[in-house]
Amino acid sequence: MPNQSTPTRYSAVAQGFHWLIAALIILQFTLGWTAGELPLGARKLARLDWHKSFGMTILMLAVLRLLWRLFNRAPELPPGMSTMEKKLARLTHVLFYVLLFVMPLTGWIMSSAKNYSVSWFHQFTWPNLIGPNERAFDILRTTHDTLSWLLFALALLHILAAFKHHFWNKDDVLKRMLPFTKSEKQS
Amino acid sequence: MRNLYVGLATAMTLSAVAAAAAAAGYTSDAQQSRLEFVGVQAGAEFKGVFQKFTADVDFAPETLAASRIDVQIDMNSVDSKDKDRDTTMRGKDVFDVAHNPTAHYITKSITKTAAGFAAVGSLTLRGVTKDVPIEFQFTPGTAGAKLTGSAKLNRLDFGVGQGDWKSTETIGDAVKINFSLVLKPKG
Repeated sequence: MPNQSTPTRYSAVAQGFHWLIAALIILQFTLGWTAGELPLGARKLARLDWHKSFGMTILMLAVLRLLWRLFNRAPELPPGMSTMEKKLARLTHVLFYVLLFVMPLTGWIMSSAKNYSVSWFHQFTWPNLIGPNERAFDILRTTHDTLSWLLFALALLHILAAFKHHFWNKDDVLKRMLPFTKSEKQS
Repeated sequence: MRNLYVGLATAMTLSAVAAAAAAAGYTSDAQQSRLEFVGVQAGAEFKGVFQKFTADVDFAPETLAASRIDVQIDMNSVDSKDKDRDTTMRGKDVFDVAHNPTAHYITKSITKTAAGFAAVGSLTLRGVTKDVPIEFQFTPGTAGAKLTGSAKLNRLDFGVGQGDWKSTETIGDAVKINFSLVLKPKG
């Protein structure tokens, strides 16, 4: 069983979750930030309509990903990393998981507070989590917006760290998350 | 025995006349009556009500030809539990309340159906007059009556939604109307 011992590479399932969610998050930044710039109107609503549908998709994927992660081990961090570096890497990853839930949830609650129910690609409607509440909407919008910057900063750190491992440390931290590559045996 | 039949027939005629006379006259109780619409925004339903409207009803199931329902709606009183949306709806691209502050519905014919009653009436909304059918139930009470029902219309038939708001992708064309009128005798 692949989940009995510590793997040296991320499995196809882990890679699938990682890259699919990464692509969706990039899309979400584009939709969310550009919609924020638009004046109130049909075009803004249309863009946020997509943003909400993709956001709820990420939330569903996050549930599956977390469940999968709880029953499967991730590859060990490469040897030679300091305790501080290891702690930082773990913190970053934990924060990613937290934000995978908190971003869609704050969006969902904020839409509920605005009394603009969330549809999933016009196929069905998610229930409102709270009643109409202007003050709650303002607070949640600020939270959602602020956390989007935290997510952006984390993603930047994450990407820079992956490149640092690949080009500077010359380990397989990046490669083991890449499909169609082979990781060298860890020394 | 024959006299008894005549007496009964007379009594029935008299009560029919009394009922026909009672067909004249109800007005809606502003506090307890409700006029709601259900639209689709970004794939999800949203509800709004008109806080101010008056219904003038002449109704008796026995004299449908003489019965009618006449409703005046203050379009400014639209309330969908979101200020931004209400402001947008009052604006010139949607209800254009500056030029069309009231909407008017008046029945032209009422017929009995299996479930209750059906009527066709003309609705004047945003300066456009068109026939809109409604279905309703009429429940007489001790002092007044209750009239509940629904209708469906297409907002674009009345020009509700100009410019970007014409798109039915963001705001659906079909709108459901639900009404519940608490009627009290006139005068």
